[in-house]
Order: sequence, then C-alpha cells, then structure tokens
Amino acid sequence: MKRVGVFVCHCGLNIAGNVNIKEVVDKAGKQQDVVFAIDHKYLCSEPGQALIKDSIRQHNLDAIVVAACSPAMHEPTFKTIAQLSGLNRYNCEIANIREQSSWVHDDVGEATAKAHITVRQSIRKVRLNEPLQPITVPVTRKVLVIGGGIAGIRAALDVANGGYQVYLVEKSGTIGGRMAQLSETFPTLDCSTCILGPLMVEVYRHPNIKLLRLSKVEDVKGYIGNFKVRVRQEPAYVDEAKCNACGECAKACPAQVPNEFDFGLTWRKAIYTPFAQAVPPAYVLDAKNCLGLLPQACGECKKACDKFGTSCMDLDAWPRIHDLEVGAIIASTGYELYDATKLTEYGYGIFPDVMTSLEFERMLSASGPTTGEIKRPSDGQTPREIVFIQCAGQREPETALPYCSKICCMYTARHAMMFRHKVPDGQAYVFYMDIRAGGKGYEEFVKRCQEEKGLLYLRGRVAKVYEENGKLIVKGVDTLSGKTVQINADLVVLAVGMIPSSESHELASKLKASLDANGFFSEAHPKLRPLESPTAGIFLAGAGQSPKDIPETVAQASGAASKVLGLLSSPTLEREPTVAQVVGELCSGCGICLSLCPYDALSLNAEKIAEVSEALCEGCGTCIASCPSGALTLRNLTDEQMVAMIEAIVE
Amino acid sequence: MQEMQSYLYFPGCSLRTVAKDFDRSAKACARALGFELKEMQGQLCCGAVMSNVDDNLMTKAGPNRILARAQQEDHTLVTLCAGCYNVLKRTGLHAKLASSSQQVINAFNEESFNGGVDVLHFLEILRDRVGFDAVGKAVKVPLKGLRVGAYYGCLLLRPFGEMKFDDPNRPSILENLLVRLGCTPIDYPARTDCCGSYLGVSSTGNIQPLSGSIIRSARSCGASLLAVSCPLCKYNLESSQLQNGKGPPPGEFLPVVYFTQLLGLALGLHPEELELDPRQMQAIREAPTPMVQG
Amino acid sequence: MIAAIEVEKRFEPKIVGFLCRWCSYAGADLAGTSRIKYPPNINAIRVNCSGRVDPTLVLKALASGADGVFIAGCHPGDCHYTNGNIKTLRRFKLLQKMLDQFGIERERVRLEWVSASEGERYARVVKGMTEDVRSLGPLNWKRTVEAVA
Repeated sequence: MKRVGVFVCHCGLNIAGNVNIKEVVDKAGKQQDVVFAIDHKYLCSEPGQALIKDSIRQHNLDAIVVAACSPAMHEPTFKTIAQLSGLNRYNCEIANIREQSSWVHDDVGEATAKAHITVRQSIRKVRLNEPLQPITVPVTRKVLVIGGGIAGIRAALDVANGGYQVYLVEKSGTIGGRMAQLSETFPTLDCSTCILGPLMVEVYRHPNIKLLRLSKVEDVKGYIGNFKVRVRQEPAYVDEAKCNACGECAKACPAQVPNEFDFGLTWRKAIYTPFAQAVPPAYVLDAKNCLGLLPQACGECKKACDKFGTSCMDLDAWPRIHDLEVGAIIASTGYELYDATKLTEYGYGIFPDVMTSLEFERMLSASGPTTGEIKRPSDGQTPREIVFIQCAGQREPETALPYCSKICCMYTARHAMMFRHKVPDGQAYVFYMDIRAGGKGYEEFVKRCQEEKGLLYLRGRVAKVYEENGKLIVKGVDTLSGKTVQINADLVVLAVGMIPSSESHELASKLKASLDANGFFSEAHPKLRPLESPTAGIFLAGAGQSPKDIPETVAQASGAASKVLGLLSSPTLEREPTVAQVVGELCSGCGICLSLCPYDALSLNAEKIAEVSEALCEGCGTCIASCPSGALTLRNLTDEQMVAMIEAIVE
Repeated sequence: MQEMQSYLYFPGCSLRTVAKDFDRSAKACARALGFELKEMQGQLCCGAVMSNVDDNLMTKAGPNRILARAQQEDHTLVTLCAGCYNVLKRTGLHAKLASSSQQVINAFNEESFNGGVDVLHFLEILRDRVGFDAVGKAVKVPLKGLRVGAYYGCLLLRPFGEMKFDDPNRPSILENLLVRLGCTPIDYPARTDCCGSYLGVSSTGNIQPLSGSIIRSARSCGASLLAVSCPLCKYNLESSQLQNGKGPPPGEFLPVVYFTQLLGLALGLHPEELELDPRQMQAIREAPTPMVQG
Repeated sequence: MIAAIEVEKRFEPKIVGFLCRWCSYAGADLAGTSRIKYPPNINAIRVNCSGRVDPTLVLKALASGADGVFIAGCHPGDCHYTNGNIKTLRRFKLLQKMLDQFGIERERVRLEWVSASEGERYARVVKGMTEDVRSLGPLNWKRTVEAVA
C-alpha cells in the first residue's frame, strides 16, 4: 500500500490552456492509493519544487506522479527532488500531458480525457515500482589499448598523460602500423615517419605505458570497470632492453623471406627489424621462417650477437602470458587492403606491373624496396606512363566492396603528383568516378596536384587491363567526352579498398563487441556515439571502426581516450538499476534469452538457470518478451506493470 | 545400362532454324555421353535480350510462360544458347522475389510462375552432372593440340550478380572442357568482350570495332579457330570477317564453331552428325599444331 | 444510411500504444513541440525498446477492451540497443498470423518505424491508424475470438 501524491503542472498556459487542470487533479485524487493531489503553475521552478518537497513531508508520501511536460525534459529534475525529499528516486513517475496531450489535441474535452488516462497510467505504474539503488561497480583504473598504429599510439599517450597505466598490445614486432609504411601524408606532404617517429618514441619512454609487442589478446572476461584480459606474447628471442640494433645477427642469418613491410617487394632475414625506426628498437627472430629452433638448426645469429653485439639473444625463450586487469579497452586494430586478386578485370597477381596503392607507396618511400625510385616490377625499367585506377573493387555492391574508403582520392593525387615529380617526362592518368576531397585543405591539394603536375584525370571506369608486347593495355571510358579510352601503360596502380584487419573478427568475439555488415567494429550510435562500442567499456579508434584518414583517426583516438579518462575518474561506477532480473524458480534453462541479448548479459549458470550480469544489462527488455516461462522480468517495467497500464488505458 | 538420364531442354528459336547445327551436335554429344536432351512442351520465343528490359513487363510474359510450362515437367531446364540462358535464368531469379510486378505478370499469363526451376547451361550439365573427367575418359579422337580460342561473349557471364556462371573477367569453364578434349586453349584478352549482338543484324558495318577486334585478338594470340555457345556471336564473328560479302584469303579466315561440335569430334562422332561443313573440317584438319610449329 | 449516423455517437476507437523511448516517443514529443494535431485515440506506454513488447501483451490489450494496438520503434539500423526492433519485427510477423487465426483484422495491430525527427510522420501515422480502426468498428473480443474458440 503506497501513499501516492499527484502534482499537476499548468506549465503556464501550455497545459492549462487546453486541459482542465482542476478536473485532472480531482480525478487523480480519487484514484486508489492517491492520498494527495495538487496543481501548480510551474512545477519545475523553485516554488514548484518546494511545493513537492513540502507535500512529500507533510503527507508522508512515498511515491509521486508529476503530470507535466515530457519526461525527456525534466524527469531527472523531479527524480532528484524526490530523492532529496527522502524518497527513492525510482518512486517518481512522469505523466506526459503536454507534448502528447495539451499540445496535440484540438478539443479541451479530448485533451483532458487523454490527460486523465495518462495520469491514471502513471499512478498504476508507480504503485508497483520497487525502490531501487543504482548498481555500483568498482573500476580498475588501468586501460588496455589493442593495436599500436597511430590510433592506438595517440589513445595510449592521452590516457597515460591523464595519469593512468596503459597496456599497449601490438601483434607485430613494432608499433607504427600503416602510417609507418607511408612515404608522405596528404595534404601537407609531411614525411610520415618523421611525424610518427617522435610519438612512437614518446610511447616507448612513457612511464605509464607498458608496450607488449608480438602480443595478441587471447581471452577477455568481465565487464566495464572490471575486465580480466589474458594476453599471449610471442618471444622475440631477443632481449628488448639489451639489444642495440647493431644488425650483426641479421648479417649472419642465412634464411631469407619476403619482407611483409614492403609487401614482398624486398627480402628480409629471419631475424630482422621491421623498419629502421622501429619501436622497440630491437630485433625480432621470426620463428616460423628460421631454419629451426627445435631442434636448433643454425644459431648463427646468437653467435654473431655474442661475438660482435651485446649478447642479448636467448634461443630458448618461450611465449609469455600476461594476465591484465583493466577498467576499459580501446580497440584500434586498423585496416588491411582488399585482396586485389579478386578483381580479375585488372589482372593483379597475373601481370607483375599491376600494383596496389600500398605497394606503390612503399616504392615511393626512400626506405622502400627501390629507395624511392619508381620502377616496373617486371623489368626494373622506369615507367613513363602510369595509370591510377580509383575505386578499385569499391562502391561495387554486386561483386566487391559496397562502400567508399574515403582516402583513395587523396592519396592517388599524391601518388600521381610524386610520380611526376620523380619522373618529369612521365605521364600520369587517373581514372575516377568522383573526387572526394572533403577535409581541411584537401580540395586545394587535389587541385594543386592536378594543375601543377599536369595529371590527366579521366572520369570513367576501367573495364579491363591486359598485357600486350610488354605494355599493359588499359581499356576504359571517359564519360565527359563520351569516348572509350585505351592507354598503353607501363604500370597500373589500383586504389584498393580498406578492409578491417584480419584479426578483428576473432577479437570482436572475444571482446563481445559487435561488428557491422562489413566487419568493422560497430559504434554505439553512428551520429552521437561514434567512439564506443555498444558493449559497455569497449571504445573504438581508427580505421578499425570505419575507413578514415589520419586527422580523423587521431581525433577519434583522443576522443576515445577522453571517454576512458571520464570513466576512470571515479573509483566506482554507477549504472541504472532498471535492468533485467531472473526469477530462478521459474527458469527452465531453455536459453532462448541468451541469443537475443545484444550485450551478452545473459548466461546460464552451473545449475542451468539464467543469470543476468547487471553491469552489462542495458535494460532494453527484449529478453523479457521472449521468456516462455515468464522467469525474466524488467525492474520497474514488469509485465504486471504493463498490464496495469494497459488496463488503465482501456477502462 | 539403365534408362538414360534425361534433362528437360529448351532449344530456343535459333537452334531450330539458323543454328540447327548447334542443336543437333549437342543432342549427338549427349547421346554419346549417356544422357538425353528432351525438348519441353509448349515452347515459345524467350525474347532474347529484349526480355531483360525493366520498364515493359510485357517482355517478361514470354519467358515466364516458358518457365511455368517447364515446371509442369521438371524442376531443371537446360539451355544451349547464351541468350536463352541469360533470359531464362534471370527471369527465374526475379520470379522468386515475389514482387508486385511478378503478380501482374502471373495474372496476365494465367500460368503462374513463382520460381522453382533451375535454369542450367549445357556446360553445367557436362561439368556438374557428367563431370569433365568422365568426358575426358569418353574422348576417342583427341584433338591433338588444336589451338582453340574459347569465346564467351557477354550473356553467359553478365550480370555476374545474377548469372554466377563463371568469373566474369577470367572465366575458365570452356577451357577446362577443351583441355579434356586434347585442345590447346588460347588465352586472348578479348574473349569476354561483346561481339556486337543485334547490331550485327541491324547495322552490320558497325560491328567491326567489336567482332573485328575479337577476331584480331584471337588470331594474334595464335588461335586456329573459335569455339562459341551462341548463334548470334557465331554470326557476328563470321560476318565481321566478310568484307563487302567477300571472305578473306583462305588461310586468314578464322573459323567459328560451336563447342558441342568440337566435343562431338573428340567423342568420335561423324562431322555430318555434327553438321560441320567441309570448310570448317578442312580448317580443323589443317590447323597448325604445336609439334608442326616446332 | 448516412442520416442514420448521429455525429455525437461516432465510434471512438481505443488504441493502446507502445512507443520506444529513444525514437518513436521522441518523435511523438516532436509532434507535440511542433503543435501538430492528431486524434487522441492512441494512449502511449513508454518502453525502453520496442523489443520489450511481448505479443501476449498485445493480445492482453485487445482482450481487455482495446480496439487496436500500435507499436512504434526505431528504423532498422537505428535501434539504440542494436537490433531490438528487428526482433520486434519477427514477433510481429508471427503475431499477424495468430491474429488471422483469431479472426482479428490485421489492421488493428500496427508496427511502425518512427524516428525521433519524424514528428509530422508520427501524427500522420496516428491519424491513419485511428481512421482505419474506426472504420473497422469496435473489436468486441468476446464475440470475435471466443466465438471462434
């Protein structure tokens, strides 16, 4: 038996002008369990709030209904007043008689009748509300960042500078990611390694950042504020702290393998450093391509290191397991390129002089396979005519990727421009559908490339590329002139699409973070919450969430870091208690609810009874609607309350 | 041997008239390989490429009627002509979508069709039901090193999203068959280019850039003849080589045959059964082989 | 015929509405803020997600005297809880089959996607449904359903 008080707001004339307030108050006063009903001109004002507080005290109310504007406006206000007056804040309901009554019905009679019903609904609901306490969970004030590209680097630095411990997990032997593979960056033509290098060093030196290279996340348990993550770190067989990167080991190593940093355009040894400015600045032994460790087939690297180097190698090393406890996880796993061999019209993989944009990028780079000179892979000659094909295997829902990768128009302009710079008597053709240059300085950059370097832009697609007499015949179309075009090129560069890193699928299922239809990490809301996964505690940064350029990546990374800093700012976390609850005796263990939860908040315990993780549950109620035994209920929106509200309406 | 496997077959208009050789050679090959092509009841014209337009439902009445009638007899329908294959397969896919236009078509036809017939090409029967290896074993007269350019054209392959017959840019089904027959398939860039389709009939002079360049491409890569699966492609490819009604010198004409005719020869069938004419046979017999060229 | 109908006694359908708080409830609020008028026959119950709506609640509403039930959620792809609206859609399709078996007209139960910015659309949908149910007449559950049973 509750003592309910009803407060009806005039809202000036907003409600009073079209609703008979006195009638509403009278009718409300007659409802079961209502012991007090009153009206006021502006309940949200100071005097209005004082009225509520005083009435609660005077009439010993333990629940209130505020009939006023939409709960979207002042629900927190009135709930707080209730709480300050000694009530449980969840014993306060709002009846919307303004936006959904007074303002939308012509006739005063109609509006008033509807207001009666709305108030009656809220009274019936509040009578059955339970007093709830917010769910408090402790917060481990440490952060895990997965992926050491520019996104992970920026996020790690921002969190670390905020004063918290960061674990930066990177699968390869060095941080830097894709940006380390770039020659220059648009639109400033900054040398990529030059601007990235200092950040990488900062990460390495930062007292709050622990860098785990050659590491992958193996398992994730727990929930926001309380993640338990198992990380497996493969051995480098080289002591990071002692190695001085002298390179004697590599000189002695007899095993050569294609260098993945250069996409196989050059070779490296089995013991190697990914690139000159690698961080950590220590070599890595690639066990897969070593002549043999078990049994030890060679050992020349260790011998050389002992003789000429710092004696920092240990060929008997094993993987290390790190069990980390963190409060938040940032996923910044980056991208790969779509497999261009699937684009059979261009002949990538069949004709050696058809390359991907990243391969061309490595060729442009002074530290790349050709020390910055542009050469045809087939015969090492300098190409005079290069065709760049934009939108290769993108914006093609039927056969390849449906989306646009955002950066290709920009880097193609840069590539074509750099080619003309290095080969002044060469000619560059760019086949495009649109030019997407939306960032700051981007349009100006493209125009500059086109005009200064005399690039030939052809608006149309390429139907086919084939080889004839040592040349690549490119057959395309120029829609602006309405003619088909044939170019006998020396080299073809494909702007292939960005796809999420191959690790992201497995990682997403470990994190219980959802992926979208294209395999990128889903954001909680595409417009308003682009930095976090719907799964509480997982934040997103970089191209792993969607194709983007470096400025956006850095912005997103800093944004994600700031969200994390907010999360960690308090030692505990409060979550809304209006979550799902299981009545164990009724649960049959059918498990239907498990698959419906978007947050994986439901599980079957050892006795095969469903259990709700209150920290993960967001209170959507989808599981409640699916339970065949009625064992699931939603706190303060139970089926009993729903029926009470339905009956209040149809009476 | 048990009763011969029989497949419901739709020849289409051309195969009953100007391309009788395609129909007869296919039927002969089928018999030699142990199955039968049984013509369906109630055939009518599929409409060819005209039936693929989207803004006139009337063009779809015909192919829908064909499929509705085929459904009375079987749930598989085999075609040979690339045009019929393209139209019927896509009609079948659209019918399954149960759109409002399908309802209109069904109401008009009074022979309802809502999908459920698998439209297959003869090559798919050879590959999936008989098996190319079994075909290889049945070869009696290997076409030793005969340099054949397989020509696919458009309709077998595109639009890829609906046809899914083979890779639209680098198909290989015909080459895989030809290899089993002992031929040397020639890869040439133009094998998936358009021959010109009905332009060959309506404005003959204009197909030179299309069919003409296909012939040039195949010849420059060393093909001795072309193998096709479409009567219109054959017509265009041959007629593009006739300038002002006269043919080029004998050694320079690139003959065009149906792949079923080559298959039949390899299976040991008589050229007459396959309706190969003496000029085509002479070209096949006198074609340079890798050994001769040394 | 027309003369026999008295305007005061026009049948006013009673429709129970379930509106998801993130999209459709906000859309309804927007209709209010924009002062767009619509009939008062739908009374809204605010749920967190349209996925909360158990089909048995829909039937309960009809059995308790409602002439219609209106469920509104976010457009597919926009659900605040990722895909609760898709689950609602699945249940709705099955519910429609049940309604057929009960002899209840499908137009009495309607599922609509209304986004938070579609105030005008909300009003239009409400108007449309009210008129549809009005022309169907009162449900009279006892007569329709329990007669069939």
